[in-house]
Amino acid sequence: MSEPFHLISVAHLEAPAGLVAASIDALRDAIERAPDDAIFQHVTRLPIRHPHARDLPGNDFARWVRTALQAPEAAERLSFAGYDHSRPIAEVRASLLEALERVPARDRRREAAEEATFHFISAHSVRVPLEVEVNTPLDIVDLWPKLDPASVFYHLIEAPARGHADASLVTWLERQGAKGMARAAAEEVAEGRPLERLRRELGTRWRRSQIGRRIAEKAGTPEAERRRDATATIARLAGRLRESASSPPEPEPPTAGMSPETVDGTAMAPKEGPSS
Amino acid sequence: MSDLLEAAAAPPGGWLARYEPVVGSGTLRALEALARRLKGHRIVMVNTTKTGGGVAEILHRVVVILNELGVPTTWEVMGGDDRFFGVTKRMHNAFHGHVEPLTEEDKEIYRERTRIEAERLELDGDLIFIHDPQPAGLIEHRREPGQHWMWRCHIDLSRRDEAYWEFLRPLVAQYDTAIFSHIGFVPPLDLPTFLVPPSIDPFAEKNREMGDAEVDAVLDKLGLEGGSWMTQISRFDRIKDPLGVIEAYRLVRKRRSSAKLLLAGGGASDDPEGAEVLAEVREKSKGLSGVTILELPPGSDLEINALQRASTVVLQKSLREGFALTVSEALWKRRAVVASAVGGIPLQVLHEQTGLLVHSIEGTAFQTIRLLDNPDLRRELGAEGREHVRDNFLHTREVRDYIAAFVAMV
Repeated sequence: MSEPFHLISVAHLEAPAGLVAASIDALRDAIERAPDDAIFQHVTRLPIRHPHARDLPGNDFARWVRTALQAPEAAERLSFAGYDHSRPIAEVRASLLEALERVPARDRRREAAEEATFHFISAHSVRVPLEVEVNTPLDIVDLWPKLDPASVFYHLIEAPARGHADASLVTWLERQGAKGMARAAAEEVAEGRPLERLRRELGTRWRRSQIGRRIAEKAGTPEAERRRDATATIARLAGRLRESASSPPEPEPPTAGMSPETVDGTAMAPKEGPSS
Repeated sequence: MSDLLEAAAAPPGGWLARYEPVVGSGTLRALEALARRLKGHRIVMVNTTKTGGGVAEILHRVVVILNELGVPTTWEVMGGDDRFFGVTKRMHNAFHGHVEPLTEEDKEIYRERTRIEAERLELDGDLIFIHDPQPAGLIEHRREPGQHWMWRCHIDLSRRDEAYWEFLRPLVAQYDTAIFSHIGFVPPLDLPTFLVPPSIDPFAEKNREMGDAEVDAVLDKLGLEGGSWMTQISRFDRIKDPLGVIEAYRLVRKRRSSAKLLLAGGGASDDPEGAEVLAEVREKSKGLSGVTILELPPGSDLEINALQRASTVVLQKSLREGFALTVSEALWKRRAVVASAVGGIPLQVLHEQTGLLVHSIEGTAFQTIRLLDNPDLRRELGAEGREHVRDNFLHTREVRDYIAAFVAMV
């Protein structure tokens, strides 16, 4: 049942895809012919291109149609077609093409100015094994705040989108019997949020899902030990409050200096696969 | 070589360690893992100057960071005489769209210097990374079996003079890979091409954190007072449109009388055209109150840092641009930016998200007034702008892209 999950990061190398578009019809034609890496770049990759944004902008096609062609209705359809970034690229492409089929004739006549032509870019993925493996779903909860953004993106969004089933975190969690964690991950990805918000909100859901289990575990420990843990937890929390009160207003970078202990004061014991 | 690395001497703990609180430990661990994929390889960087200019500035840091990551990297500087640099300067201008004659003698000067330098330079790595057109010809003389050569073009070739490009293209065609900063800069080339935007160093004098007292001290020294400054810091060059900035200020001033304009830049004293533009700027701003024009000498990084931080709105109202990293520098300081949608600026300024893009003098005035009136909007754009730079325009990202490009090659 238990199988290790190998953590991988990824570097995305951008390259000209050799396709351009200046109208809806040309865009449709180019999307049909574009390599998967280009659909990936302009739609799927959005959450990691803007990981700290408050909200994700529409995908590149939608934004271009809105600004360069001044066709808001078509832009809305394209935005919607690109939603849920972890969908397989073939599905995304089909949705985009379908949205473009339904663009009214008046918008098809619009042409972008020469300097506003849409240039397709491909994102080639260079995968980087982090030489870290996790053995249980709780290991992931433990590591979650420290993982680099590209790794979070790869395992939650890119792997399913590119059909790398072995590297899909949701698939692995399901196989480990952590169906609740898997469901939470799939739901958060489908929300279409910037990556760091996705990471934060998913981490919170996962940790909350463990509270009951941790209380049950603690119930079996001696009273003196529980008191000691509680005191240490409060001390850490007070320390963090002091730190945040004295630090400048800039938010902490997402992966620096955080650990599960400092988030909720309780170390995660990587023992068993939860099902929340 | 050794003096180059001394110049870039790392602080205690190393340059990379300083980035940890900025980009997070996870990002650095992933960068280290990526660098391990280049184990056994050795990079040689080649350009034509060790000081001055954005490329040297980037190399001083990037070379050190690569070495700290365990990728042995050296930096060679191709030399030349006045004749050679005269040709390459004309080449540079021609690639930016200025019509420049290219003679057979020019070509021979380029070839001859390339031959001389090819014998002198230590190109003993297996990954040879050539920056810009000046040293591009080295590949003809020094390519050895097992080496991978990458040409990194930092300039915009979209308005290139075809005569110069026809001279350079057969040399570039011998490379294994080319890298450009922006898709709009890429000429037709039959070799794998990647897009790697340039980046800034958050710890450089121009970008490091400064407290209010330090900023005030610099302003005092410059004889400036606080206030609602709209500021453009760029060399006095027509393509930066300083006259357009004055026009926009005139419109702003009619509606917001407390606004002040600061135009600061270098390049006037040693550049005849710069001096001419500066004179035009002074003439156009005559009788217009609230305008300050500062000619900054080279190396005024601390002053630039303070001026950007003291500005309410930072402008970059260029008519054409390369990448315009001044925008990232302002965004890193959480400034509200109004900038033209040209060159690499739209990659940095995401309209209404990290700043405001404009296409006209009136647009510049309108968006500046909007920002002067709305501190919340300035704060929001500034905060988001800083995050955007953190994610996309710091040296760690540029290093990651270069390593990934080499990994893709080998």
